[in-house]
Amino acid sequence: MNDEVWTAGDLLERLQRRDKFFVLDVRNRDEFERFQLEGCSPIPAVNTPYFEMLELGGKDEMLDSVVAYVERDLADRLPSDLPILAVCAKGDTSEFVAQGLRRLGYTSANLKGGMKAWGEHYATHALVISADLTIYQVSRPARGCLSYMVASAGKAIVIDPLRHLHPYLDLARGMGFTIEAVIDTHGHADHISGGVALAAKTGASYFLHPYDAIHPFDMLPATIRYEFIRDGQKFPVGPYELEALHIPGHTLGLVAFRLDDKYLFTGDSIFIRSIARPDLGGKAETWAPLHGESLRRLLGLPGRITVLPGHFSSLGEADEKGRFAATLDDLKKRNDGLVVLQRESEEGFVRYLLESLPKFIPEYVDIKRVNAGLLTLAEEDAATLELGKNVCALSQAYVATVGGAE
Amino acid sequence: MSQVFDKMLDARGLNCPLPLINARKEISKLEVGQVLKVVASDRGSVADFLGWAKVAKNMELLGQETETTEGANTYVHYVKRTA
Repeated sequence: MNDEVWTAGDLLERLQRRDKFFVLDVRNRDEFERFQLEGCSPIPAVNTPYFEMLELGGKDEMLDSVVAYVERDLADRLPSDLPILAVCAKGDTSEFVAQGLRRLGYTSANLKGGMKAWGEHYATHALVISADLTIYQVSRPARGCLSYMVASAGKAIVIDPLRHLHPYLDLARGMGFTIEAVIDTHGHADHISGGVALAAKTGASYFLHPYDAIHPFDMLPATIRYEFIRDGQKFPVGPYELEALHIPGHTLGLVAFRLDDKYLFTGDSIFIRSIARPDLGGKAETWAPLHGESLRRLLGLPGRITVLPGHFSSLGEADEKGRFAATLDDLKKRNDGLVVLQRESEEGFVRYLLESLPKFIPEYVDIKRVNAGLLTLAEEDAATLELGKNVCALSQAYVATVGGAE
Repeated sequence: MSQVFDKMLDARGLNCPLPLINARKEISKLEVGQVLKVVASDRGSVADFLGWAKVAKNMELLGQETETTEGANTYVHYVKRTA
């Protein structure tokens, strides 16, 4: 690991180790507000757009302006005892900032590729490797998105693939798997699904519950090619089966997948710290009771089943190996939403859901359009649309844990 | 927009922060009141020129437009020297 240039992978490693550092972010203020670096606990940061440094530093060249500006206007806000990570959109401007800081005697590094590289970084963890079953968790740490590859006897099913296909194609190639089915647990609102594209690329079938093939705001049918998922439908994985459990609430067509009494792919229902929000279709009051009913159905499953969720809200939710997984029994004790669900009446739980809705993200309406094939975007527009961390859980999930204690 | 300009800066192919840094240098060579047309391929330049115009004391951003040729976007900024 280079101390002066951190790749997205280096950054992830440091965040998971809970290394202490400070961020000087030189993107413009809107970009900073929308998408910031987050670790297990909040990362102290200052945002000064580079053009302000340039103008207020008053020199012709970026590096000289950085030095002049930091020395005069920023020194009292920067720590002298922590490394300072310089961050910008694509990693070029921040290199000047890191150099300027070092010239002034600070310990400083540049985030290589900037927030673009961090936002598009993927990490893959093996959850299960046995003679007849392999499960990988593929995550996009900056977004808090999780997806899975489940394989047996050389054949794989991919669940909730994210927008970039290379992690799945590389994994399948490396392991010698043929991808036979691609499944979305629901029509995603927070990120652009890679499902249709991955299925097209690999010749696999793409599956979605038909209720989620209707855009909830437009009331228009999806134009993508998909095969219906039915409640109780079974997808064979070698000697095992993935059984579909229709659990409407977060969306009307949300489906969880159960692999025996061992693994439960919950999609956006039960996460690690909290549970999914019921309002992204714009019908919170109508969908909240359904959500409660569906969660109670999941609570009835054997407690030793391992929950494999569709999102996390903080890197601090990972285990010591960086994996996001926990048994249902464990989550009954520590998942905010499940604790309330077990304590409250139906009405009380609905009230809790409706009182715990984070701000609605307007971009989510368009993201659902893209996922239904109702809107087509160029790569740059797609990247901009899904920028930032998912907000698919209840608001409690986004309250920072001070010190990152888990 | 048919904005009149006095000088043009081709910043296509340049990444942030170069389009803005080069524009800033060019502006200082103009007479007060003259207009520089900056053509960039970096999409980030749109928000950056807007933000820059808010803090810069010797320039005004007269307008911005996006041109599409052969599927590739270029981002045009008209910058006037004011002091």
